[in-house]
Amino acid sequence: MSHVERPHLKHVLHTVSVLEAVVLRSFGPDGGQVLFTRDTGQVMLSRSGTRILTALRLEHPLARMVVECVWKHTAVTGDGSKNFILLLASLLRVIHTAACKRCNVSHTYSSREAMENATARHLADTLLAFGLEELGDVISTGVVPYGGVLSWEDPSAHAVPAHTNKDMHTLQKLLTAFFHTRLGHTYCDFFSRLTCEFLSCWKCEDKAPSYLLHLIDDNFSVLHTPVSGFPVSCSRVIEGQVIHRDFSTPFSWTNNQPVKAVVFSGHLHPDAHKAGAVLELRGGERGVLRYTSCTERSLECVITTLQSLGVSLLLCAVKQSEAVLALAGLSGMCVVDFLFHRYIHMSFHDSEIKPHSLVICGAGEGQTDQCACAFQDALRMLHTTWEPMHTTATTAAKSILHSGKSRSPSSKPPLQKNVLNPGCVVPVGGTFEFLLHHALLQHDTGIPALSRLLADALLCVPQQIYSHSPRRYLQTQTLVTNYIELRVGHCRKVDFKSDVFTLDSGVESVSCKYKLILAVLQCLSSLLRLDAVLHTHTPLHKQACRHSSSSLEDTEEGDED
Amino acid sequence: MSRLTKKSPSVCTDEPLENPDLCQRFDCLRQLLRSCFGPSGRLKHIRNNIGGHVITTSTSSVLLSAASSSQPAVRLLTTSILNHVSRFSDCGLFAAVLCLSLVDQAARRQSGLRRDVAIRVNKHLLRMCTDYLQREDCGCKVRLDFCSSRSLITLARSVISSKPGCVLTELEAVHISKLAVQAFVLTVPCDSPGTVRLGRTVTVSVEGQPVLDSAVFSGLLLDVPDASSLGNVENLQSNPLQMVLLGVSLSGDLSDLGDGTLEVHRGADADSQVLDQLLELGKQVVKDEVKLFVCQKVIHPVLQQYLRQHGVVVVERVGAALMEPLSQLTGAQPVATLQTTIPAKAYGQVKDLTIRQFGSKTMLHLHPAGEPVICTMILCHRNETMLNELKVACQKTEHVLRLTLREPSALLGGGCTETHLAAYIRNKSVHEAPEAAKVLGCSQSQYLLGLEAFCRSLESVAAALQHSGGSSLIDLTHGHHWTLHSDTAEIQREDALGSCGCGLVESGPHVKWTHLNTKYSDFSPAPLSKNAAVYPRVLDSFTAKINALQVAVETANLVLDIRYIIQDVN
Repeated sequence: MSHVERPHLKHVLHTVSVLEAVVLRSFGPDGGQVLFTRDTGQVMLSRSGTRILTALRLEHPLARMVVECVWKHTAVTGDGSKNFILLLASLLRVIHTAACKRCNVSHTYSSREAMENATARHLADTLLAFGLEELGDVISTGVVPYGGVLSWEDPSAHAVPAHTNKDMHTLQKLLTAFFHTRLGHTYCDFFSRLTCEFLSCWKCEDKAPSYLLHLIDDNFSVLHTPVSGFPVSCSRVIEGQVIHRDFSTPFSWTNNQPVKAVVFSGHLHPDAHKAGAVLELRGGERGVLRYTSCTERSLECVITTLQSLGVSLLLCAVKQSEAVLALAGLSGMCVVDFLFHRYIHMSFHDSEIKPHSLVICGAGEGQTDQCACAFQDALRMLHTTWEPMHTTATTAAKSILHSGKSRSPSSKPPLQKNVLNPGCVVPVGGTFEFLLHHALLQHDTGIPALSRLLADALLCVPQQIYSHSPRRYLQTQTLVTNYIELRVGHCRKVDFKSDVFTLDSGVESVSCKYKLILAVLQCLSSLLRLDAVLHTHTPLHKQACRHSSSSLEDTEEGDED
Repeated sequence: MSRLTKKSPSVCTDEPLENPDLCQRFDCLRQLLRSCFGPSGRLKHIRNNIGGHVITTSTSSVLLSAASSSQPAVRLLTTSILNHVSRFSDCGLFAAVLCLSLVDQAARRQSGLRRDVAIRVNKHLLRMCTDYLQREDCGCKVRLDFCSSRSLITLARSVISSKPGCVLTELEAVHISKLAVQAFVLTVPCDSPGTVRLGRTVTVSVEGQPVLDSAVFSGLLLDVPDASSLGNVENLQSNPLQMVLLGVSLSGDLSDLGDGTLEVHRGADADSQVLDQLLELGKQVVKDEVKLFVCQKVIHPVLQQYLRQHGVVVVERVGAALMEPLSQLTGAQPVATLQTTIPAKAYGQVKDLTIRQFGSKTMLHLHPAGEPVICTMILCHRNETMLNELKVACQKTEHVLRLTLREPSALLGGGCTETHLAAYIRNKSVHEAPEAAKVLGCSQSQYLLGLEAFCRSLESVAAALQHSGGSSLIDLTHGHHWTLHSDTAEIQREDALGSCGCGLVESGPHVKWTHLNTKYSDFSPAPLSKNAAVYPRVLDSFTAKINALQVAVETANLVLDIRYIIQDVN
């Protein structure tokens, strides 16, 4: 018999707060590394919220559900996992307070709990609806005008003198701020420079940035080479591709001539006599020799043909026989065999794109892996930043509406079209939250309490950033407020890089933030919509589990192994 | 259906560096590695709980891989050091001791240094160190002179004598160092234009012979268990000798055909068919005037017999590892097909063959016909443990010598580089403290604390060279490192000190010293006057040490930055 657990709002809050406590260790300018071990015993390092939460291997169904949501969000945007948890916890807190206030009048304990849950659920749903319908609007009027714009075209066009190029600078600042959250203060500058260099090498006239970012992201495993035992500062961009295997034959060419290479996916040596086959030897002259000479001759034929074509490098997906290696060696060819299939598939017939690879150095595997993950997430973050916002809003809305039964698709206004310019950035350090906070309070939603709720919850992010110096929190807040008033009062275009704001400390992407809030609201609403958790004892029969309660789908006990 | 097991949740540790248990582990490791450091380092006996092989060593790579810990933070540190050693072969203990000292200095709560400041300051000072070391006028760097073997031998001797597990006398250490340099020189090709491809040293160890019997030969020495079967090796007249190299088994077995089933019908004599084919090969080889026949695997006795009858020297089972050096030495291409005639270009050449005897080992010496880029080093020692340690030491020396080809520099050894660097950094940073603190975003006092921790860590590495209770001193002119034995009175200090750790600075009435662990007023360490007659006694690899320095500081920074540990217990 399965045992039923009814999660109350405060349990949910408690669970998320525990996750928050873990994530906070690596949040903000003073955050540090989290060391975790894999089940193989490897020691890994991370500051990425997603990796930290996954490494915890949580059992609690609600916590797993949250981790799943974080994972889904960062798989697309590459950024914001720690903020996700912070914001979620903060929203739960304000909702909890609001719900408790409203339900104070109720008499019995159990009915009060149920009422609180119902109020919280209602609030979460309304918030989600608000997020989908109006938040984009609020951001476009309340945040975007104060932000700068990052463009792809300019940075890479004149990539070489980085300091002379304004936009390169903004791109670098965006990346610096991102790497600061991932690799810490010591390496963020180095890696943002490296990333800019890498991207400018890949730049191509007739390809859209999103296409390139996607291409690099997809093939990242073969486009980077982790090297342990060197300091991080030895990492660099190199032209071409690095194949992570040694030659199977002695390496023999020394002149710098172009090399003709051939890619093989199968065996070169005819392997008619493989397992399962039967070779019959009858009496007579040279029975067995005829067989071996036949295979050898055909192999020799292949090698001779390759030689006549001027081929000097054979790239093979499978392990080749000794005879192949010896014959190739005799003909002056080099062989690399047993290659990962991905190398074979990664070919650039398109001469416009010049493939470059990244060599990532570090003291150990933990460090190189951390850098590689951060780099890949940076690509995703850039992709999200440059994505035209209306399409994101629509897809995000679609996926939310799919699960939210209360909203019909027709109620979705076409407002989000061209809501945000792609590539909009604001300074880091809570500027986005302060601006949105202000905008939400000014915004007329019809339900003032609702925008107030979200506005208050948002402030948790700058509060955590400045947790060590409350004075700087107030300073920043005053700075932002003053700036808004200045703009409103004078009604003129104030340059963003004026004395009020400086972009020096780095910038962050508005569209990533927008996506983050939507994802958090969605997660919140699905968390609070949960009515009961059923603990079953037949983990092997997923189907039975599904039938018993459809609401469990999100908390499905992951038996993936 | 795959077996599903439930994953148990991970074990978490919050603020691990505040945890006394971890600090104690780091401390224990630090003591252990410190005690092994340098030529007078103490040896460690490693034995596991199930019996088996006992190792005696003081080498970081052996020690760290044997003494593995389950504590993730400790493992992070040891893997970093091992990765460094796998790339550069040298300065592993230096990196480990420096890294652990940096962690120790910054994790001490009473020091008042904030860990995040320590990280920034370490990074800043590391940059200062590497910039200084790369400079032409760096006071602790010497340019290697390839015209004479003196500095190369000094470099080699420093590596070999830093491994006390080899148990060598002074004379033996010099002999081995000379051999190492000789082997290194033999593997550098003289007249190849364009990309240079270095040759290879093949090491053969002979147990039970005196160390001074060790030798280096150009060419290759192949183990031949049965010397009598070789026949008239020395009487081969032609010069050079034609040779062939086989990469496949010549045993005549049918099993090499493939993985499938073989059905042999009555009347089909497959074995004799294959043997006939082998003899065909033999005939061709004899016709082509081959005098040396080498096979990676087994050769059928009948074929062996046939070849010997025709005056061919046969060597079988040389193993895969020797195939490439053999091919490089003789120019022969390994043959792996038996059916087709061997093309002329597959044949290689050797100049001469001789038989050499080392203790119980008989070896066939293949003299190179062309330029000798392959050489063989015969290493002799009294017992197996020492021999193994000596073998490791020689391989590391070879690597260190090769690193000089990229960067022909070396650093002063004997702790002088460390104290000199510390003095340089102290002096430079104290003057730049206000600006540096501003750039790093910390207060000036925190910056100075960080500076002190960094310099002390560097100095503590120099002090770790001393194991017999003596004290470490630094002179206040050049910033070199001096060792004072515990039984010397303060008054006789000047005479007792002799010269500094690297041997470049002589003691004298004008030299002023201070103990390393005391505060001294900062001074700019003066470069040494170029005296052609004085050579450093101890030299360290420049490339290895600069990487070790960087790896040590970066690893220490990583360790100091750990806020939380999640341990997967599955």
